[in-house]
Order: sequence, then C-alpha cells, then structure tokens
Amino acid sequence: MKEQYRIPDSARKATAVTFFPGSSEFIRQAAHVPICNAKLYEEQPGRLTPAALGPLDGRLGVSSKGGTCATCGLPLLNCIGHFGFFDLELPVFHIGYFKLVINCLQCICRNCSRLLLTAEEKTNFLRQIANPGLDYLRRKALHKKIITSCKKNKMCLHCGQINGVVKKAVGVPLKIADALDREDISEYTQVMNANPEINKLLPKAKFSQLTPLQVQKIFSRILPEDIAIIMVRCGQEKHPQDLLLTRIPVPPVCIRPSVASEVKAGTTEDDLTMKLSEIFLINDVLRKHKRDGAPSKTVHETWEHLQIQCALYINAEVSGLPPDMQSKKTIRGLTQRLKGKQGRFRGNLSGKRVDFTSRTVISPDPNLRIDQVGVPIHVAKILTFPEVVNDLNIEKMRQLVRNGPDVHPGANYIDSKTQGKRYLRIGNRDYMAEKLQRGDIVERHLNDNDPVLFNRQPSLHKISIMSHRAKVMPGRTLRFNECACAPYNADFDGDEMNLHLPQTYEARAEASLLMGVKSNLITPRSGEPLVAAIQDFITGGYLMTHKDTFFPRAEVHRFAAAIIDASAKKQTRMFIPPPAILRPVELWTGKQLIELVIRPDADSEINLNLKTKNKSYTKNEDLCHNDSYVIIRNSQLICGVLDKSLLGSGSKVNIFYILLRDFGEDAAVDAMWRLARMAPVYLTNRGFSIGIGDVKPSERLLSERKALINEGYHKCDDFIAQLASGRLKTQPGCSEKETLESLILRELSVVRDHAGQVCVKNLSSHNAPLTMAICGSKGSFINISQMIACVGQQAISGHRPPDGFENRCLPHFPRYQNTPQAKGFVENSFYSGLTPTEFFFHTMGGREGLVDTAVKTAETDDRLDPALMEAKDGSVIDFEHVWNHVRCLTNSNTCDEEIAPAEMKIFIKNSLQDHFSNEIKAYLVEKHREEKSQIDKKEQTMAPNLSDDDVFEEVSNWGTRSSTLAVKTIWNDLWQFLAKIMNRGAKVYELPSTCKSHKNAKTGSRQSNSTSCHNCVRAFNYRKRLLASMYLTHEQVTVFVEKCANKWKKAISEPGTTVGAIAATSIGEPSTQMTLKTFHFAGVASMNITQGVPRIKEIINAVKSISTPVISASLRDESDGDLARRCKARIEKTTLGRNLAQRIRLLRLEVTPYSIQRAIAATKFEIPLKIADIHPRGKTMIVIRPAVSQKMSRRGHFQYLKRVLSRVIVKGLRDVSRCVIHVDESKGNRHELLIEGTDYLGVMCTNGVNPVKTRFNNALVVAQVLGIEAARKIIIEEILSTMESHGISLDRRHVMLLADIMTYRGEVLGITRNGLVKMKESVLLLASFERTTDHLFEAAFFGQKDEIKGVSESIILGTPIRIGTGMHKLLFKHPASLPIRPRPILLDAIFKDSK
Amino acid sequence: MADDDDYGEMEDFNDEEPMDDLGDIDQENEDAEGERIDLIEADKGTASTERVTTPFMTKYERARILGTRALQIAMGAPVMVEIEGETDPLEIARKELKARKIPIIVRRYLPDGSFEDWSVDQLAVGNW
Repeated sequence: MKEQYRIPDSARKATAVTFFPGSSEFIRQAAHVPICNAKLYEEQPGRLTPAALGPLDGRLGVSSKGGTCATCGLPLLNCIGHFGFFDLELPVFHIGYFKLVINCLQCICRNCSRLLLTAEEKTNFLRQIANPGLDYLRRKALHKKIITSCKKNKMCLHCGQINGVVKKAVGVPLKIADALDREDISEYTQVMNANPEINKLLPKAKFSQLTPLQVQKIFSRILPEDIAIIMVRCGQEKHPQDLLLTRIPVPPVCIRPSVASEVKAGTTEDDLTMKLSEIFLINDVLRKHKRDGAPSKTVHETWEHLQIQCALYINAEVSGLPPDMQSKKTIRGLTQRLKGKQGRFRGNLSGKRVDFTSRTVISPDPNLRIDQVGVPIHVAKILTFPEVVNDLNIEKMRQLVRNGPDVHPGANYIDSKTQGKRYLRIGNRDYMAEKLQRGDIVERHLNDNDPVLFNRQPSLHKISIMSHRAKVMPGRTLRFNECACAPYNADFDGDEMNLHLPQTYEARAEASLLMGVKSNLITPRSGEPLVAAIQDFITGGYLMTHKDTFFPRAEVHRFAAAIIDASAKKQTRMFIPPPAILRPVELWTGKQLIELVIRPDADSEINLNLKTKNKSYTKNEDLCHNDSYVIIRNSQLICGVLDKSLLGSGSKVNIFYILLRDFGEDAAVDAMWRLARMAPVYLTNRGFSIGIGDVKPSERLLSERKALINEGYHKCDDFIAQLASGRLKTQPGCSEKETLESLILRELSVVRDHAGQVCVKNLSSHNAPLTMAICGSKGSFINISQMIACVGQQAISGHRPPDGFENRCLPHFPRYQNTPQAKGFVENSFYSGLTPTEFFFHTMGGREGLVDTAVKTAETDDRLDPALMEAKDGSVIDFEHVWNHVRCLTNSNTCDEEIAPAEMKIFIKNSLQDHFSNEIKAYLVEKHREEKSQIDKKEQTMAPNLSDDDVFEEVSNWGTRSSTLAVKTIWNDLWQFLAKIMNRGAKVYELPSTCKSHKNAKTGSRQSNSTSCHNCVRAFNYRKRLLASMYLTHEQVTVFVEKCANKWKKAISEPGTTVGAIAATSIGEPSTQMTLKTFHFAGVASMNITQGVPRIKEIINAVKSISTPVISASLRDESDGDLARRCKARIEKTTLGRNLAQRIRLLRLEVTPYSIQRAIAATKFEIPLKIADIHPRGKTMIVIRPAVSQKMSRRGHFQYLKRVLSRVIVKGLRDVSRCVIHVDESKGNRHELLIEGTDYLGVMCTNGVNPVKTRFNNALVVAQVLGIEAARKIIIEEILSTMESHGISLDRRHVMLLADIMTYRGEVLGITRNGLVKMKESVLLLASFERTTDHLFEAAFFGQKDEIKGVSESIILGTPIRIGTGMHKLLFKHPASLPIRPRPILLDAIFKDSK
Repeated sequence: MADDDDYGEMEDFNDEEPMDDLGDIDQENEDAEGERIDLIEADKGTASTERVTTPFMTKYERARILGTRALQIAMGAPVMVEIEGETDPLEIARKELKARKIPIIVRRYLPDGSFEDWSVDQLAVGNW
C-alpha cells in the first residue's frame, strides 16, 4: 500500500536549505574515503572488483543491483552513498565561483589584503550588513554596491599600493588579469638584468596574471573582520579561500554508476568517473613534476591542464577553451546534470514519474454521464486500488479475492501483515479469501465509480486534469461524454489521454471533491461554463425547439425513454407535459421537450427562469421573426429557439450555467446529460447530413456573384489607375502604395462579404451548413460563403502575398501587375474549384496558418507559461482578519490588492437585476398561491423598515464590512432593487380597500360593507389583485435576501485557493488560442498595434522599447477639430528643411524666428553655435555668423552647417515619428490624437492636450512619468485589450494579480530571468527556472538559507505544501464524555473521616 | 541513583495528573501532538471571541476532513452514523459530515503564524 504522508513525530523536519561553498575541511569531514588510487578496478581474472581507494571504492556506495555498501552495509535501494576526496597539488579556480573570486579581489588590496574602502565607508557598510532584516535580494544589491565603491578607490589606504583593474583575462579561460602599474617595474629588475630583451617588452605589458596560488595567498591574509564585508555577512566559518578548489570531493558511485557490458569484457564508466580519474592522473603528474623539480614551464602547463579539467568536471560547457583542450565528445558535467528540462531540478525534483497510469486513444460516448469516463476492462484489471479490509467490506473483498486477477471485479494481490504480499494468480484463492482478515490490504481492480484522474496534454490549465468516475466497459478506448471535450481541448481524431488512479483514500477524496468535473464546470479564466453541449447537441437542441417541430405521442415517449437512467440509484417518476395540440391528433411541440431535459422529475424543485436574447435576435422581444427571444419560466421553454448561447460553452446565459448557479452542479450535469441523450436520438430520427447539394449555388446566386466581383475588380482597377496618374489621395501617415493596398484590401473584403451575404440570403432554411452556422454548433457564415460563393483574398501577415518572384507574386503574371487576381484574390468558391494560381495563393495562406500555429505553440509552451507559473506560484488566498476580506499575499509581501473571488459567478451588476427580478416574480407567483387568503394580514406583509431584521442586519454587515468597491456596488444594487420593489408595493398597499363612501368605516366592519356595497367589493378586489402581483410579504423578502446572501457566500473564493497559479494559467492558456500573430488594424488610419502573443510577451516581459509605442492624447476640447490640428502641429516634428515656410503657413505652426534661434542654439553641433551667433532678421530671415574655430576651416564649417541645419527640429517632439488625428464619429465627432512615439511626458506637456486623459501603452515609461500605480493600470488595460481583440474573455482579477506581481517591488519588473531574480528570494525556485547552477553558486557565496515556504521548494524537498488542503492541520477531537476520573487515593477516605 | 530519579519522576507525574483533567480538550490534543511551544502562543490566538476566520468550511477543509475520515473508516474506525448498507468509506464520511459527527478539529493557520481551532461541528458546511 502506498504510504500515507504522516507528519513525522520526530523533531527532525527540513525547514530550510543552506548553501555554502564547502571548505576543504568540510569536504574531508563529509567524506568516508580518501582516494589515492587512479585505477578503477583491481586486475583479477574473471571478475571485476573495484580498486581499493580508487574512484570506485566499495566504501563510496553501491551501483550494482546485488551488492551491498561497504560503509553502511545497505543494498542499492537503501544506501544513500558516501563521499570520498583527494587533494590537489596546487589550488585551481572553481569555475562556478570564478566571477565571485574576481569580485572579491576587486574589493581588496593585492598587496596587503586590506579592504579598499575608507573607514567611513567601512563603518557604513558594516552597519548595513549587520541589519538582521537584510533579505537575499538586498544582500545581492549591497554586494554590488560594495564592489563599485571598492573599485573607485585605487590606492590602498593601508599600504599605499596602487591597485589596478582586476578582470577576467580576455581570450583565455579561467585566468585573472591584474592591471600592472608602471611604478611596479622595480619588481622585475632581476629578470631584466638576466634577459635584456624583457627590458623592451615590459613597458608594453599591461597586465600580469594572478595565479590561483597568488589569489590564495592574498585571500589568506584578509583580516577576519573584513570578510563580513567582502562576503556580505556570510558568517564566520566561510572564508573567501573556500572559493578556490584545493580538494576535490569524490561523489558516491550511485550517481555515476558503471554499467557492466555483457557483450564485451569490461565496463562502461560514467563521464564523471572518467573525468575524476583524469583529474587524479594529472594531479599525480603535477606532484611528480613538483617533486622532481621539473622546469616551471612544464609545471605551469600541467597546472593549466589540471585547471581546465577541473572546470570541465564541474561545467562541461566551458566556452573559449583552446582547441587542443576541448574534449572530443561532450560529457555531462555536474552542471549539465542539474540544468535543463531533463536535468535534476526540472526532470527529477520538480516532476516525478508515477505508477497506476494508463493511456489510450479516446472516443466519444454520449451515453456516459458528464463526470464519467469509460475504462476498458483490460485497463481496469491492471490498475488497482489498495483497499483495507474492515468490518464493512470484508465479504465484498472475499468475493473479489475469489474472482482473482482474471475476472473483472477481482483483485491482484493480498498484502497482509503476517504473510506479506501474495499474488492471487497462484495458490488457492478460495482458501485465501476464507483467511482474509481485517487490516489486510487487497489490491482490488479498478471498479465503477472509483474516482480517477483524466488528463490530456498539453496541460495548460487546471481543468486539463479532472477527476471522473470510472465506468468499466468493454472495448479498447477511454470514453467520455463529448460535453467534457472543451476543458481538455480534445477531439477524437486519434487523440490519446491519460488516466491515473489515486492510491489513497485521502487522494480519492481530494480528487473527487476538488478536481471533479462537477466542481469544474466553470472555467476560472472568465467564470463562464466550459463544460457544455457541443456540436450535434446544439444542432439537435436548435432543431428540436423550432416552431414547426411537432411530435406525436409515440415519439415523445421515445425521447422520454432516452433520458431514463436505468443505473441511477434513485429512480424517479417522469412527468410528460400535456400535449400542445389535442385535436385532430395529440401533438407536442419540441419546446415542451426542453422541460424534460431541464426537469423530468415530477416533484423536482428545479424552477429555471430565464429571459434572454439568443445569437440571431433582431427586435420586438418575443415577436422576433427569428424566434430568438428566449423565455424560460418555471423550467418551461415559453418561446425562442435554443442555440449556442443557451446551450454551448462560453456564455453566461447558458441554461446549464444558470442551473448550476441556482440549483447546484448535479442539476446542471444531469440536464446536460439528458440533452446529450435526447439530441442524438432526435437527430438520428430526423436526419441531419450535408451533401454536395448543400453547397451548390443557384443560377441567380452565380449571376449576382459575378456582378459583385466585376464591380469590385472595376473599382480596384480604378484605384490602380489613380495611383498611376498620381491622383490617389493618400491616407494620413501612409505612402501612396500603402494607401492603394489598404483600399484594395478593403474593397475586396467587401466583395467577399457581400457575396457571402447574398449566398446566405438565397439558401433554404433547411440547408445543413446554414443551420449549423446559425445555431453556432460548427462553422461560420464565412465558411459557407467560401464553399458556395467566393473564397476571397488570401492574406499573408495581414497583407496581400508579397512579390516572391521578380516584381510579381507568381511567374504567371506580368511584372508590376497589381490587380486582385495577381495578388492573391481567389474569386472561385471551393465548390467551383480553384484555378492553379488561386490554388498557389491558397496554399500560401494555409502555410502561414500552419507555421504560425507551430511557432506559437512552441513559444507559449516553452517560455510564457513556465515563466508565468514560476512568477506567480505562491500567491495564495490566506486566512485573514476579516473572513470575506481575502488578501493576496505575494511571496509573503502583502500587496494591497484585494483579490476578490477568482470564480465569482454571479453578482455582475446587470445580471443581478435581470436574474433576480425574474426569480422573484416566479417566486411570488408560487408563494401567492398559498398565501392568497392571508395576504391582508398585517404581520404577513412586509414592514417598510426591515433594518432591524436579523437577515438584513447580517447582510448589510457583509456589505459594509468589506472594503472593496466592487462589493459595495453589489450591495448598493441589491438595496436599490429592493427599495424599488418595496416602494411599488407600498403604493399598492396604500390603496383604499373600500370605496370612497365607506372610507371611514372601521376595518372590522369591512366584511359587511364589502358584501353590501358594489364599489367596495371592486376596490377590495382591485387592491387584492395588485397586492398579489406586486407586493412582497415579509417571508418572500427574507427568502430572497437569504438566497442572495447564499450566492454571495458561494461566490467568494476560499482561503487556500492558489490564485497565483490560476491567474497564470488563465493568461497563459488562451495565448495558444490567439490565432495569427498578425498586426491588428486599430480602427484608425494605419495605426498598427502589435497584437497577439508578441504583444502579451512584450507586456509581461516589461520590454523597454516596445515595437509599436502609441500615445493616445485627449484634447482640452474634444469637439474642436482646429485645436486637434494645432496640437498635431505642435507634437509632430518639423525640421528646418525646405518646406518650412509652407508648413508654417499650412499648419499654422507656432514658430517665430526667435524660437528657431533658440532651437538652433539648443541643438548639438560639432562646433556649437551660441545664441549670439544667430541673428533673426525680420520675419523671414535668420543670419548665422559662426564664430571662427580652430577645428574647421571657415569654408568647411559652412558646408557642415548647410548640411546639418536642415535637420534641426524647430517644432515638435524628437521621439515622435507620426501623429494622426482620430475622429470618433460614433461619439459625436470626438477628436483624439494618436501619436506614434515614446515621448509621453512631452506629449502630456503640450499645450492643448489634456494630460489627465493621455495614455501610453508602455508601462515602463508610464512608471517613470506617472509612477508605479499608473504603470500597473496600464499593464492591466493593455493585457485585457489585447485579449479582448482576440475574442478571449478574461477575468480582470487575474490580470490585476499579474500586474501586482510585476509592480509590487516599486518598479516594473518583467517576468523574465532578470525580473524574476529581483522578485523571488528562493534559490531553489530560481534554480528550477533558469540558469540553474549560476543561482546555486551565487547562493553558496552568500551563504543563503532557503526556507522551504514556496510551492517549488516544497515539491523539491518533498514536504507538504501549504496551499489548499495543506493549509490547515487536523486534530482528533477527543469525545468530551470521557473524563478521566482521578483514581481515589487509597487512604483518602480515612483522611476525610479524620478531618 | 537511577532508582531515585525514576521515583522522583513518578511523583511529579502523579501530581500533574489532576491538572491534565482540568485542561480543556484542545490542550490535550496539543499534548498529543507534542507541540508545547505552540501552546503558549496559541492561548490568545484560539480564544473564540477573537476568531476572525470564516465560519464556513472551505472546500479544501471539507476535502481534507472527508479524506482523513474516509481513511479512518477504511482502517476500521467506529462509524458514527447509520451506514445503511454503504461500504465506500468516502460515502460514509460524507454521511457523517452531514450529521456533523466527525470527531476532527481543524487548525487554521493565519499569516502571522498564530492559529485558530475549529471543530467540525462549529463550522458551517455550505452545501450550496
């Protein structure tokens, strides 16, 4: 049985991981064996024994299956392995710490090893370092600061030595260059005397090399108190010397197993073993050289070799190695083992492999429930669950044991405490069943209703893996209801899916309660239902609810039979509504069948109420000629046809969604299943197919199409002619060619649209593709018109196909031809067939789609998604002080954003009104049936002041206690709504119950009056009727408010929800859906804005210079077109070029000779002009007399000025390339400026621009100009608008969380490797993301302690995660009725007596 | 010497016994958990007047409680409700939760490290 996770009793628990560079002392202490033998194996005939004290010594652990460890005596599975070590003759640099060693050297004097800091700086830094609250990020920043201030001090204050620059030697790996000081030459006097040639060379030498030995010497002299500063409070035991390699730890053999080859003699050794023995050999050689007094050149060469081998051992991908040193084949060094997707961190620690899994092809089965999955018997017999035998199930288990492994509901193994694990294929099963005891564990087969996890890759969001109830059935595929396709994004063209069987009761409970399909009908991305009817179910529902669909009794009963669930636990009575037409024959309408879908049960409480428009609504509510106004009252479809917006996913008026909202998930899931059963039955009965006849155009359509296309061609030719003659009026900010392109594109798309409209208009209403397009089950009108009328223009990245051949698109056309046909317009339809050239164009367009999908998938999968996840994991809703006041805690720093429910379902302002008014009415009608008689009783009616009521008090408390604006508005809405109804009711209540003449009669005598006076009876009845329909009783209001309150509570997301991960997946998942990363026409003349995945990436990565910076500037007076033009002139840059005078006149530029004078003077020239040199003469002339300069001859200077002056900007902003006036006609000629450029501040400061309403789409710049909150808002808005332009609905709160995470440090941090480093503290998290080993080495240098708090770290360490079900602890509650009586003391009674 | 020590301890233990009985249920639990250090901090955190977390059982708590209880039932713990022929431990646990008969206390940790104890019958189970 799988072991449950237990909180261990012992005090030992991994609370933190500390990193440090192991000193040589530590390495020796941790090791068990000194290695002093280069040989791997002892030479023994017949078999291989590891050489004693060699790299494969038996005391280092075991790597073969049979062996036991010589140190701990445990076999392979249990031995954790033991380290060895050997000493290096000479120290070498550790490649991981190399940079940090240089950093250390930069901080100290190379002569006396003192810090290169003034005493003041020193105390200052010491104080900062002593701060106990110094976190990892700040320590890193401080380290940088220390280095920079050390670099500033050249001279050592202690010994007066001038220290040059220390840096990495260029061109050679792992060498440190120390800049030489000229005065230092005295050191070389002796050498110079010996070799006079050096005399000449020495002045040229700029650097000397610092060998590891020298570095070690320098480090060893560092004062202990200085270490704290150099290593930023690293602690006492860590010395900079540890950063050098003097001793090599030999890792246990289990991480570098040797594989004994069976074919040939000998073994294959791991790369690490080979490298280690190589290092050992070189070390030996070095030792020999040293002993024998070899020439220093040889020693140095060997040393260098040793250095490089040690580097390769740690990181095999060292760059810049000399070619002879490079190893022939790349080995897997220690670094390579850790990093990358297959590396230890991402491959083995963060993700692990599991048992009890199966995978096969999937297929649809509408007969299965929504939350079921059909599992083949074959699979069910292999996947087992360890069930503990107890009193309740012992007989069942006995039967399973008797069945054994080959009969399906059977078992494979018995595991008992006394006899161990036994396989049931062998032995007497009857006997074993008889001997079954309580506490034994039976590994029984997967059976019906077991919760299993069902998953399809790519798992982009949390609903890519859900828990289904298993249903064991014959066959070889996994089957599920098509309604559950959408969350997995599955189809049945050969997709495969995975199935996991949870192995403990806890896992089963969590799976079925939290991951069940029923609990995940709604996607957290937008709060819309994702599990809903698709394709045929929608078509069936649509056709069934048509006005002209009638069924005789036989068929109705047949449909009713289809929705009976024979396997249900509780069978209910079905209620078939009375027929709509009684004579001449009994006929039911299709709409009546919907009641069967929603509520077949006669005494069910489900009263669905809904009033909405569907997709093709025109006007006049229920008299809409498409029958598209849907009214459902008390679960009966009164009018309207059901289409995708009522049955399909992604809609908030979906009937299943409303069922879920109002009556719970079971109601929704059952209704969905019933539709899935009924719709196919209806469709197969009726017949629904598509044939060539469906796409055959009529004669009339053909002629109309021809006329349309000819007209379009004519217009295009006209445009081309205009261009040729130069008459074409350019659009603002476009060249002539661009204008032509956009005109032609627009014209041709109009042609295609019109052709489509004509063809859709001419089609019969029985046309199958048209039916599907109208009801939204599959295909669109464009698809139909492409099949029937015209395929249309083929576009490649938003333009017509480019000229791939010389000045033409295909070689079939003459050069420079710009006609529609030559540039990718396909006038044929798929029915009429494409011409060869059209076919080429079509494939070009198709190819673009394919490439785009491939590229995009790779991009989002590999970059965006993981990055988002890493950044956001750990954002959890925590228990906070106010229960509905859920706060988002980002990495233990509270960012002041209240994350209201991620799955908030109702209480959208508008739906409140609609929904509750519907509901309350329906409720009223029902209640009044019972209460008619009591309506007049005072205590039953609603008192106007309800504030003292319990419910109201409670409810209003929730409203006021919460601080968010959204919450307050919701409660205000509720109050206003109630007040409105109350007022209306109050008026009715005030109506007289008697006629005027009897007004003053007493209430008690009314009865007698009303019988006698006719008017009184009328007034009384009138009032009674109105009261019945409009007045609320106390009970009604209470119930209503309680219902609201319940929904409200339900909508609040719960403590423990991983909002971060949900938000990350919600943003990452739809980015795969964003088709074609093209540019998007933002509705304005050629103001293109990057859209799609590239734009999202840009925002999330916080790119400094975005590809399309656009500032939209609002004007002081929005209706003033003149102001707009003047502002445009102020912003757009005008140079001192040729047309200045003309421009000034035309655009009314605010330019005077004096402003030009200032502009020229402010411009930087090689020889600056002073203001005094420039003399404006009158209105039209400026004289410049440049001062005589040494740099240039007078003539040259003039030439230079002549060239340069024309580029001087006299008006406008430098960083603005274009400015377009955008007139929004829909809002009454609102003028707005759209500016392409980055000078946000400049635009805001321009006179005439309203700076308050000016926005820029680059968050980084906005942060600089307006501050971090503004940047946050821009991030939110930009992501939302990008998503929206692709038709993806995304809940605002996810983006808000993302923006919070990006901005909570006070600057806009991108979710990139650089940004993350500034955001996250945890080393393990950073290591599992990117640049694994760099982070580890750095952490070791700083001696960082990683407290296991986050999700990534917990996964790596295998500790429970404090999220969701791990957030709280459970304790056993001792029964209170078990007081432990103190045992009476033996002689107590005697004592008492004596007293 | 050793004998003396043992004897002394025994005496101490006897003295403490009545104290244990007076202590409330929560304290006994903590004793069982061996978390004496937490206990001191907890005194103010658990006072019911100062309970600040939601009175509703979160779905995570529900899942955890049901899972834990299902495991207990599967291992042979006495069932607190009529089982009516049900053998699936999870279903039985559900029934128990409906009847509010699960003998479990939820310890909720607040961001500042303090915690609150809620027994299952104190928490409102939202079945909506």
